[in-house]
Amino acid sequence: MSVLVQPVPEVNPLQDSLRFARRVPPCAVVIFGASGDLSKRKLLPSLYRLFYERRISTNFAVVGSSRTPMSDDQFREKMKESVSKFLEDAPFDQDVWTSFAQSLFYVAGDLNNPSSYDDLREKLDEVEKSHQTAGNVLFYLSTQPSHYAEAILELGKHKLNEGNGWRRVIIEKPFGHDLESARKLNEEIHKVFDESEVYRIDHYLGKETVQNILAFRFGNSMFEPLWNRRYVDHVQITAAESIGVEGRGAYYQEAGALRDMIQNHLSQVMATVSMEPPSVFDATNVRDERAKLLRAVRVMKPQDVPLYAVAGQYGPARVGGQDFPGFRQEPSVNPDSQTDTYAAVTFFIDNWRWAGVPFYIRTGKRMPKRITDVAIQFKAPPLGLFTQETKTGPREVRPNLLVLRIQPEEGISLRFLSKSPGSGMRVRPVSMDFNYGSSFGERTPTAYETLLVDAMAGDPTLYTRQDMVEASWQIVMPILDSWAHTRFDFPNYPAGTWGPKASDDMLARQGHVWRVP
Amino acid sequence: MSANIFPVQPEAILKGLGKLWTSLGEEEKQLGKPTVLRACAMTLIVATDESDAGFFASQTISELMHEHPSRGIVLAVSDTAEHGLEARVLAQCWKPFGKAQQICCEQIEIKARPEVWPNVGPTLVGLTAADLPVIFWCRHQGALSPTATADQKAGLEAVMSLATKTIVDNRGMELQSAFSFIADSQSRGRIIADLEWTRLTFWREPLAGVFDSSACGSPLSSFHSVEIAHSDPKLSASTVYIGGWISAPYKARVQFSKIDGHGPGVHRVTLRSETETIDFERTGPDCMTLRSSNGRSRQYNYPDADLTALMTEELSVLGPDPAFNTAFARSQELIRELK
Repeated sequence: MSVLVQPVPEVNPLQDSLRFARRVPPCAVVIFGASGDLSKRKLLPSLYRLFYERRISTNFAVVGSSRTPMSDDQFREKMKESVSKFLEDAPFDQDVWTSFAQSLFYVAGDLNNPSSYDDLREKLDEVEKSHQTAGNVLFYLSTQPSHYAEAILELGKHKLNEGNGWRRVIIEKPFGHDLESARKLNEEIHKVFDESEVYRIDHYLGKETVQNILAFRFGNSMFEPLWNRRYVDHVQITAAESIGVEGRGAYYQEAGALRDMIQNHLSQVMATVSMEPPSVFDATNVRDERAKLLRAVRVMKPQDVPLYAVAGQYGPARVGGQDFPGFRQEPSVNPDSQTDTYAAVTFFIDNWRWAGVPFYIRTGKRMPKRITDVAIQFKAPPLGLFTQETKTGPREVRPNLLVLRIQPEEGISLRFLSKSPGSGMRVRPVSMDFNYGSSFGERTPTAYETLLVDAMAGDPTLYTRQDMVEASWQIVMPILDSWAHTRFDFPNYPAGTWGPKASDDMLARQGHVWRVP
Repeated sequence: MSANIFPVQPEAILKGLGKLWTSLGEEEKQLGKPTVLRACAMTLIVATDESDAGFFASQTISELMHEHPSRGIVLAVSDTAEHGLEARVLAQCWKPFGKAQQICCEQIEIKARPEVWPNVGPTLVGLTAADLPVIFWCRHQGALSPTATADQKAGLEAVMSLATKTIVDNRGMELQSAFSFIADSQSRGRIIADLEWTRLTFWREPLAGVFDSSACGSPLSSFHSVEIAHSDPKLSASTVYIGGWISAPYKARVQFSKIDGHGPGVHRVTLRSETETIDFERTGPDCMTLRSSNGRSRQYNYPDADLTALMTEELSVLGPDPAFNTAFARSQELIRELK
């Protein structure tokens, strides 16, 4: 009856990479801090969505863990509420949820309590058998950062870092609060997990449009020859938020804009925009290039900090008929706070490609709108043959600008000059637009969906490596140290504006101005 | 959406398109900011016939443009064409939610009398978007049937010869002639897709996934028999394709059976080895359940795959489709074995 005509192939012959989504192997995902905000808003909705889209293996389980005592069923009910509430751009399907919920389990426990890890081990053994997860476990640390090291050391003590399958750990930012603590945290982690098993998540790198920067740069040949100091005048990276601290005043007061955004997200975006092409598109090569770039960023001397870095804090303002409090008036914020809610930094990359090209990075809260983009300002033509007609008369033409829009209207725009119709040689800037949403109308996966699949599939390309984290701390440390010893005259910008005047002055010294995105 | 009728000469039609874009840009000129984005990633030619009256080609193309913006050319072959051949141009636009800019694709509608169809080729050549793939979606069932007239065959050939890929839908078609058409086209080096195959992705992906993991105690190679239950009056292309696909790697034995179930198309796939049985079954209009005799089960949603969804998937695969080619080759063997 059985007819076998071929030897067993090594790969699944039924897989169809043209039409099927990337597969992930069987595994259990353990979420520490399972009743926290990140888990409710992002992690569980992302896992459900992956399940709905059939991207997760049939042999899959989630084990949530936090201090709140709950049964498996109570955890499922709680997560159902969260998933139905926070699911983005996707329907909630009761039948699929019922099936998904069968893979959800819960272990109540305190990270400080060793017996919690015994309970966890027991649960993992149970789901390995019942859900055939092949012994693969992905730990997700969605807890207070101060608990990371402790939790990891306990995992090691209880031998949960080893088993029948692979073991990996995802760590949320912040990875330390300065270079020294980042190094110390890495040392603690490496006592238990090998670096190859550590996935430091920076959700900016999981955004489709950040990934698209790599496709844009290295999938096309026409831009790369221009991507250097000969043609690029300067680069502006903007990450503006229109909202304030939204109830996170206590946390934000300790972090500040430089730590919260520039040290991690924006330095990684800068590295993505400016790194050298990898020889192969794999995790090691891509991350090597990012790390190499970050190591090439000039570390400021203390006396340079006032020239190349600006701190800001928003004050109260009335915007659009509505009164907004200043940062110091936000709940849980020290009325004399010296925290930066705005930071702007000029970085220089000391390599052959970028020597002398300023990279301006700014980020802030309570700005006029929410936008994240990267603008590559090209140099003006060597001879100004044309003037641009404006309402106030002719003026010198503005050179080419390439804008990589990360959010909210993801896409790419190239500004160039075109002759205005009619007689005479009058020119005006026009824009050639690529709109990500309209060209790829399909729903794009959220950053957490992308990154969770990558971690389960063992692909760390979009995760930050120890050397990248340390290099990015290295470049902000002189600024943090200097600011820690400075008494700022805050607030220095009203809510609803593009930041303090000192930031404009920083660019003006280089002959540049901030764009209005 | 706006339309004007033009003589059927490529230059005239393209001039009409140019005017159309100029008029769409008027608002932009007045407001001084971009209001319209012209999008085109391919030329999509859709041929329809009289029997396709319920199909609204323009509407379907406008739905497809959200993911596959194209220069759409609708070729309606009809006795009602007054001038033998007539054309009009229009733009299909949509504004993504919350965005200020409309995304617009251009569309050309050509109405041709059946006897004129064979001569449409040169016109279409001049109308395809430069340097982009040309996809031909043949909904003219008469031209695909064994009783196609000489004009229909010539007309079909005229369009297929331009196309990077031709898409047909063999749902409800007579299997022998449908398979002959695909085999003949493939032998001439053409890329052919069948929406009956596209309908199977919802089946194939979870089934393949079982053999990625340890859910299935046995390797695929040990499954010696495959049973496909369907609820169609006769064997459909999709039923044969799934048998061909799953049995191809090891030439496992395939049996087909007809039952009352959720249809049309495949209702259940059963794989048997010496130690394990896997059932994958439609257990509701929008639900599928996978059960293994080793105790594991999982439910999946079975989304309603309308034509837009099927075409959206198919337009994402512009080159050769090795999985389909392998499954089709094995399907032909299964048909021969059934005889």
